[in-house]
Amino acid sequence: MSDIRLEVKKVSKTFGITKALQDVSFNIAKGEIHALIGENGSGKSTLTNSLAGIYHKDRGTFLLDGKEVDPANQVEANNEGISIIVQELGTLDGLTVAENIFLGHEEQFVKFGIKNTAAMNRKANELLKKYGFDKIKAPDMIDDYNFEDRKLVEIVKATYFSPKIVVIDETTTALSREGRDELYKQMKRIREEGNTVIFISHDLPEVLEMSDTITVLRDGVYIDTVKSSEIDEDGLKKLMVGRDVTGAYYRTDYGEEVSSEVVMKVEDVTVPGLISDVNFELHKGEILGFGGLSESGMHEIGKACFGASFDREGRVTLADGTQINDIPTAIAHSIAYTSKDRDNESLVMNQSIRDNICLPSLKELSNKAHMLSDKKLKSFAEEFAKKMSTKMQSVDQFVSNLSGGNKQKVVLARWIGKDSDILLLDSPTRGIDIKVKQDIYRLMDEMRKSGKSIIMISEELTELIGMCDRIIIMKDGRINGELLRSADIDENSLIAKMV
Amino acid sequence: MNKAENTGKRLSGGVKGYLLLLIMVLISWGIFKIITPDNFGSPKNMLSYFEASLLAAVGAVGFYFVMVMGMFDFSIGANIMLSAIVGCVFANRFGLGYFGLVIGAILTGAIVGLLNGAFYVKLRIPSMIVTTGLALIYESVANFIAGGVEQTLPSDLRAFGQMPGNLILAVIAFAVAYLLLNYTRIGTYTYAIGSNEFVAKNMGIKVNKYKVLAFIISGAFLGVMAVLTISYGSSMVAVTGMASMSRNFVPTMGCFFGLAFKKYGMPIPAIIIGEFVINIIFFGFIALGAPTAVQDVITGLALLIIVMLTTKVAKGEIVK
Repeated sequence: MSDIRLEVKKVSKTFGITKALQDVSFNIAKGEIHALIGENGSGKSTLTNSLAGIYHKDRGTFLLDGKEVDPANQVEANNEGISIIVQELGTLDGLTVAENIFLGHEEQFVKFGIKNTAAMNRKANELLKKYGFDKIKAPDMIDDYNFEDRKLVEIVKATYFSPKIVVIDETTTALSREGRDELYKQMKRIREEGNTVIFISHDLPEVLEMSDTITVLRDGVYIDTVKSSEIDEDGLKKLMVGRDVTGAYYRTDYGEEVSSEVVMKVEDVTVPGLISDVNFELHKGEILGFGGLSESGMHEIGKACFGASFDREGRVTLADGTQINDIPTAIAHSIAYTSKDRDNESLVMNQSIRDNICLPSLKELSNKAHMLSDKKLKSFAEEFAKKMSTKMQSVDQFVSNLSGGNKQKVVLARWIGKDSDILLLDSPTRGIDIKVKQDIYRLMDEMRKSGKSIIMISEELTELIGMCDRIIIMKDGRINGELLRSADIDENSLIAKMV
Repeated sequence: MNKAENTGKRLSGGVKGYLLLLIMVLISWGIFKIITPDNFGSPKNMLSYFEASLLAAVGAVGFYFVMVMGMFDFSIGANIMLSAIVGCVFANRFGLGYFGLVIGAILTGAIVGLLNGAFYVKLRIPSMIVTTGLALIYESVANFIAGGVEQTLPSDLRAFGQMPGNLILAVIAFAVAYLLLNYTRIGTYTYAIGSNEFVAKNMGIKVNKYKVLAFIISGAFLGVMAVLTISYGSSMVAVTGMASMSRNFVPTMGCFFGLAFKKYGMPIPAIIIGEFVINIIFFGFIALGAPTAVQDVITGLALLIIVMLTTKVAKGEIVK
């Protein structure tokens, strides 16, 4: 009996003039965690989405256990033994937890056209208990749960029927440490059962630790498949980028004096149910990091400082005495904010890259008669999209057609174009590939040196340690500790204050 | 700081929903009872207001399937008119009696729904525009069938216009809607499509099929409403020039109640009680002898306030 679970044979897919996949061929074995890596726009998600029935490939074949599969949608893919956990939210509001788990598979609970809701809830509760997610209740509306818990529901939904292949597409970046550990546990369980995980991640240490085999794609072309035990991080970077990725990844300076000039003062800030009595100062030319567990309240810090929190109490004051209580005041005073929830809070999905990049800068881009020049907007958008190495056909392309990482680049290009003095960056490198990550870190360092101040909120402890002058750790909505930049700080020093 | 709660939250949500509706009934009744105590709000009066509210409530529970999916229907009034006229013709002219009245009206309503859904799905034009255009056609068809003459239902065929016939038919309709919404795939898919059509499609749900089905269900319920309407009022005039649009208002408002109380897990009871509140206000104005224009202004404002207070959109939630 063959050990090959999936044969990918000359699979191609185009979007307009973009060749997302070009004759990609490789094999995936049974009972392994097979990582799929590559830069943003390299075709990883396009390939797995085609396998899972979300997209339809133009050419080529997928052979699952020797049999051709070409699912028209996710349910057909499930029936073939393929499931997927997507990067963004994959559950539906307005339905219960149980209805979400069994969506498209209700037939097992339907008799004479009538759905047995009690049986469905019972079965869902059994599954949730089996996975150790007892805190989630099957009859509850999914809307009552946060992003993290909804991802746990997705894990159950994608794996409860023991599929032959489970695709996990860049899901870990959306999860806190506990969520990741839970996902890793499930990945190992799937492998132990003799099934296969296709694991997409930009986190190379995570890829090396978790996977058995790694396939690299670049610009929609298959590059190589290697054993995880036979390669290191630098080797992977070289395969992904096509050249040696040399030079420092994070900042290398230590002991540099941060300016004493305070550009933003946060006093007694409370957002009911999220953060309590938060006090700190941001200095000129400083990168101030915020870390903690996903639900620690750290993600609210950016919103609170940007005037975007609801029912916020306390004061956020700039050096000139301006109080930041709303978003227009924040933007008018050169403050930029990027949200963790990129698709819902940062991007206008059905608008062009040009419109998204130019949006906060329209005032500066208009002439004395308040008229906008199409040419000027386009060249402005092109300049900053290119600066961020955004993979696109043109700036007229809709943002919704971009890969996750490229969407993030558009968000950052917008604020770099705006030339803001204070940047509030929530998870700025989420879903970003290694090369652009390096570019962003370099850019942040340049901004810092030019006197701009940055608040960096991140669940990536290594990037906080590598980039920040100071790290504030949040726990249960409150500040639970502060660490100054030092070569001696390691992840454990941060984790000790997080949990 | 997990926002997740246990199942108790849902139960209390339902109780809260019923309490809110009860308060609305009491307030609307109380205001008019204080202003005009003699000719408004006796138990007998209240029963007749409730009977009148059943008409629109039946149409509204069907229309809810369309609205939850994020679509709209401007041909509600034309559908009711056409279905009532066809039902009346079947019962009267073809001598099919109650069978002809009920089946004729429901079938016509469902066919109108099918046409609405099919045109909307095939032409890929916003549902508001499609149904507005089709409403003009339905009005003309009704006028043609009626021969420009008012269609009257004989007195021996009006059992659905009074107790207990109207109540029995309405309760059957509510039970069917409840069953469809809570105990069939149609209900689950209706909410799924309303929540995120793209994800629903990826889950193998035939989105267009269920959209058309929602229009058919809505149409069939409007057919039942047509039976109740012509039985209650005894006749129907086939108006043209979009005059049938005036019949859209009450079922649509009831549907808004359903949408507002969806979060409490009780859209159908909310529609039924909501229509009752609308009728209490309506009959209150009649008891006051207020001019129609004043009635319309105050009714419109009162309903906007009710929906605003009960909907209570979460902070940051986008309303379109």
